[in-house]
Amino acid sequence: MAAGGNNRSRLLLVILLVTSLFLITLDLRGVSITKNSRSATQSLLAPVQRGVSDFFSPVGNFFSDVKNFGKTKAELKDLKSENAKLRKKVIFNKDTSGQLKKLKGVLDLAGRGGYKVVSARVIGKGSSSTFSQTITIDAGTNDGVNKDMTVMGEFGLVGVIKSATSTSSIVLLMNDPTFRIGVRIARSQSVGVLMGEGDNTFTLQLLDPSGSIEVNDVLLSLGSDNNRPFVPGLPVGYVKSVKNTSATLTQEASVKSYSNLGSLGVVSVIVKVSNGGPKDALIPRPTPTPTTTIYVTQSPTPEATN
Amino acid sequence: MSWSRAGFSALILLLFFVVQESAISKIDFPISGFSLYLCVLLGLMALEDRFGAIAMGFIGGLILDLSPSSDSPFGKWALILTLVGYLFSRNRESIGDFTERPMAFVLFVSAGATATLLIFLIFGVILGENNGAVLTNLQTVVGNGIWTLLFSSVLLPGLVALRNYTLTSRERL
Repeated sequence: MAAGGNNRSRLLLVILLVTSLFLITLDLRGVSITKNSRSATQSLLAPVQRGVSDFFSPVGNFFSDVKNFGKTKAELKDLKSENAKLRKKVIFNKDTSGQLKKLKGVLDLAGRGGYKVVSARVIGKGSSSTFSQTITIDAGTNDGVNKDMTVMGEFGLVGVIKSATSTSSIVLLMNDPTFRIGVRIARSQSVGVLMGEGDNTFTLQLLDPSGSIEVNDVLLSLGSDNNRPFVPGLPVGYVKSVKNTSATLTQEASVKSYSNLGSLGVVSVIVKVSNGGPKDALIPRPTPTPTTTIYVTQSPTPEATN
Repeated sequence: MSWSRAGFSALILLLFFVVQESAISKIDFPISGFSLYLCVLLGLMALEDRFGAIAMGFIGGLILDLSPSSDSPFGKWALILTLVGYLFSRNRESIGDFTERPMAFVLFVSAGATATLLIFLIFGVILGENNGAVLTNLQTVVGNGIWTLLFSSVLLPGLVALRNYTLTSRERL
């Protein structure tokens, strides 16, 4: 009896393994049934994600706050003073005002760059078990969003549209390990490739062996044919440190992105670029700090008056 | 494993899949994310016999393959979880009935979740996928294992009760 059960299980195991391998082969050969099934799931999940997004965002933020607690004392002090200011705003509507601020930043950057954009709310995040860095936004083909369009945040590049349904789209974030983008260094105009690594660090590899990288160099997107998947001139990040790699022909550097990919509330999808892009107009400029001049006048002593 | 229980389990898995994709994945857990779906699936698989664990692994894998955020080929999760179902049932036969030993059950499911993600990464390497930095991936695997350990102690008693509810009178004997 037990042997019979084992044989039945083994037969089932073999059948299911073969079926799985068959499905993988179909998917790798680009059969649309498997691709469409994910799009259909996305269409079904989008309304639920949209509904849960409003209700669940305070819980998600709570865990995020716990995670970053105690990073540095200075940061904590700054946050405390900032928190006091924000408390007043919370009474009004914390979530809405935060999203409006981000939207203003995104639209401001898009306006300066001459980009025509479609703004969207982030309604979902990719599951950690898939090892891919994605977000779901509430804009789709009905809003003019299509696959391979650039997605930007209030400070610069965020990612690219991976797939789109009528009402929602999946964005492949720039820190995904499969993400690659051509960039140019604003200072030297050297061209390189920026690669995501799954976390918050990025690697820049120059294509030109004679090119040079310096710390704090600003990186702008190079752009693609017909501006898809990437539009030109969008701020991507800045060089944090230059790697000393004698084994490679070209220089490498560690890069920090302008966008905080962990706290995206509102993003914009660039649907059109006017006049060939913004060139270097979007290079982030440091905000000037006001200098204070103090004049000291010596007061007359009693001896001097005598 | 009866057809009715297979259908019921698939419905439960679908429900947890929706919860995972729309709510749990939005939480920014310390260390790394937590897969509630994987925890529930492995919990259900651990309670089945060999035939049931393999079948449930395949069904659960197919549901997970539907994840819109997934970059891996469709069928990869089904393949991995079918294999995990087989390995689970083999080990379970040597350990015995879990329902009387909750600690063993929790540890088994947590170790299973960790092993499943590791197998997923190894298969990714075999299929030539780019999984990113090794350290980040290990952090995800370990983090998920820790969260599964913490949450499974709360979730699994409920799963056992749910599963007992779906048993036929013949299976109860």
